[in-house]
Amino acid sequence: MLTRRAAAIALVLHGVGVVPVGAHHGWSGYDATKEMTLTGTIKEAGYEHPHGHVRLEVPGRLWLVVLAPPTRMESRGLPAAKLRVGGKATVVGYPHRSNEDEMRAERITIEGATVELR
Amino acid sequence: MTPTGAGFTGWLEATAAATAMRQSLWLYPIVEILHIIGFVILVGSAAMFDLRLLGLSRQLPVTGMERHLLPWARASVLLIVPTGGLMFVAHATEFAGNPAFRLKLLFLVLAGLNAAVFHLRPFRQVAGWDRGAPAPLQARLAACLSLALWTGVIACGRLLAYF
Repeated sequence: MLTRRAAAIALVLHGVGVVPVGAHHGWSGYDATKEMTLTGTIKEAGYEHPHGHVRLEVPGRLWLVVLAPPTRMESRGLPAAKLRVGGKATVVGYPHRSNEDEMRAERITIEGATVELR
Repeated sequence: MTPTGAGFTGWLEATAAATAMRQSLWLYPIVEILHIIGFVILVGSAAMFDLRLLGLSRQLPVTGMERHLLPWARASVLLIVPTGGLMFVAHATEFAGNPAFRLKLLFLVLAGLNAAVFHLRPFRQVAGWDRGAPAPLQARLAACLSLALWTGVIACGRLLAYF
């Protein structure tokens, strides 16, 4: 869990971020016909309601990867500490229909452990 | 998602309450549950009263239903508004610009005005149609409007997660 100071810093960093944060939404906003797999470095992690997220740096691109509600991730064995900035992650999911560089993850693999997110 | 807002809504998102809503594991779902319990009581009370105005269960006195339902409807607001406020501040900038949220607020205001007009106008003469008689047109129109507006409030409330 982030401390309040860390949260404040994260908020400031978001302010200068290049990728806009869109609305939260159901799966219908994502194109399930275009399944994609991304492997990259976690540049930022949010273990937050209503959905957690990571910003994943893959060569040449910074993806906003929308995950599951924190309660679900916790119960499936993906506590906040596993979404470590600087760590590697592989996600399988679908691109957003209109927000470029945003995808919703069906599953995430960190340190060899895969967690289903739906 | 962590908000990026500036100005007043950005300030709201940075408050301790908003941060706790986003980051505490169970606070958000608990607040959602309380909000739902609250509006079930509010909209349920309104809908049952509206159906009586529209002529169902005409043997029940309108004034008796009003005495039973209105205190529950009023009390439910104490549950709905603080919980709704907490959900709003967690993502204030996003909600403020969300068309479904704006429409929901508009419907809420109209539903409140409709209820106020009903109590100030046709309900004043309720003695004449309290039991076993059809409610006047103005009261029936208010009931229809109430049912439509509350349905709209609930629909927008659910849909704001999809816009």
